[in-house]
Amino acid sequence: MVFELLLEKILIPPVLAPLIYPGLGVALATVLIILWLERKLTARVQMRIGPYYVARRLHGAIQLLADGTRFFFQEVIVPARVDVIPFLLAPALALAAIAAAFTVIPGGPGLQGFYTPYSLLVALAALAVSPLLLVLMGWASNNKFAIIGSAREALLNASYEPLLFTTALAMAILYGTLDLNQMVAYQADLGIIGLILNPLAAILFFIAMVAATDRIPFDIVMGEQEIVHGPFTEYTGIGYGLVMALDYIKLYALAMMYSIIFLGGWLPATTPLLAAIVLYVKTFIVMTVAVFLRTVYGRLRLDTALNILWSKLIPLALVSVALSTVVSYTLGW
Amino acid sequence: MVEKAVSRRREKPNPVKAHMDALLAAVSRALRKPMTLMYPDVEEQHPPGYRGIIVYNYDKCIGCSLCARICPPRAIKMHRVPGDKKIRPGYDMGRCIFCGYCVDICPTEALSYSWVHDKAFYRIEEMVFDPIDWAKYSRQVLEEQKRRESRHNRVRVVIDEEVGLRYEPAHS
Repeated sequence: MVFELLLEKILIPPVLAPLIYPGLGVALATVLIILWLERKLTARVQMRIGPYYVARRLHGAIQLLADGTRFFFQEVIVPARVDVIPFLLAPALALAAIAAAFTVIPGGPGLQGFYTPYSLLVALAALAVSPLLLVLMGWASNNKFAIIGSAREALLNASYEPLLFTTALAMAILYGTLDLNQMVAYQADLGIIGLILNPLAAILFFIAMVAATDRIPFDIVMGEQEIVHGPFTEYTGIGYGLVMALDYIKLYALAMMYSIIFLGGWLPATTPLLAAIVLYVKTFIVMTVAVFLRTVYGRLRLDTALNILWSKLIPLALVSVALSTVVSYTLGW
Repeated sequence: MVEKAVSRRREKPNPVKAHMDALLAAVSRALRKPMTLMYPDVEEQHPPGYRGIIVYNYDKCIGCSLCARICPPRAIKMHRVPGDKKIRPGYDMGRCIFCGYCVDICPTEALSYSWVHDKAFYRIEEMVFDPIDWAKYSRQVLEEQKRRESRHNRVRVVIDEEVGLRYEPAHS
């Protein structure tokens, strides 16, 4: 009786969506797979094999599971002079901030935590909190590499967030709504995906996404050859596993938003299960393209990255807003 | 081509085309076969005269100590073995540089090359062999060599224009 009541209260989309799909469960599984795929693709471009010996028949597909197990059982070292409470809380809070975005991102028709007409804005706002916690991590670590990494994150954050929000605004103007569900509905009505309606905004949103998640060529914050691991330098064990996964979970959230806004979301599927699968496949492809950039580009210098973002891409983003206005006027919305 | 070099002015590449070219190059590279040698599973066939671990035949040795004299890093030193009139060479594998002078100079071919080179030791002292240990260890190495030769997993390296390196099954 109690059990059935519990099932009734728990097995409902508002609970399942943030926890399982599109939320944390699938996100963590995707992180494990995409990290393996990233290493494997990089290896293939460099004519190597890549991870192979953990589960040979699957070509090392559970390599990251093995790594994660190692992180889990590793000793957690808290250095003597760190600010203990922020140091330990910041990774968890950053994960919570990113996970908050999953409450409003629909993983299929009606498959979301709660309905709000401003879901695009809420999701972007939730994702924009995590850089602050990255800065907190670096500040609490009491380490020169960490603080340099934090300063870089602060500078870079002030440059990619305008780009991200401006391109999102361009698409909001185009569709005339801030609701991700409605955006898919408009694309279904029109029969044209957002990528074709406003290709400029699509490219710029993608670049902002790569910058927001510290992927190469914008991995200035981590900068492994320069500043050991940026704000994450002092983390060990489970904390390190968590902070390493943060960027990938954020990438997953942004890639899912990208597929909803620009790639038609769960179209052409309409039934919930098929829609979820279609959206997930699109998200995974976007993530793969984002991590594939690692094989081609080198790291930009901080000043070069800021120069490109502010003097080239943000003006282009404003052009994309104008383009959106023109397109939506032509379509008569 | 030559005219461009003379003018010494680099054309500014079209950024879109340059990025697309770079990405497509990476994709085409990713579709090629990797050129990794899957080493413990597959082994490269060694050429004749490959200088691996030096093996010692106790019965052929006449105790002339030429090997100890020629050895540049003094990896071979002569020992007196109880119950044996001759002096015998001992071997410090940690010092050996695998130059093969000892094999060349040995008058009775008591020393020879094996192609085994991938041996590991837990402690540095384990790499020092006295004459009897060396003879025993040599027999082990030769047995292992024979066993590994009969495993049919040996490949030949072929230089390939497309891939760079290619591996073909070797015919023994």
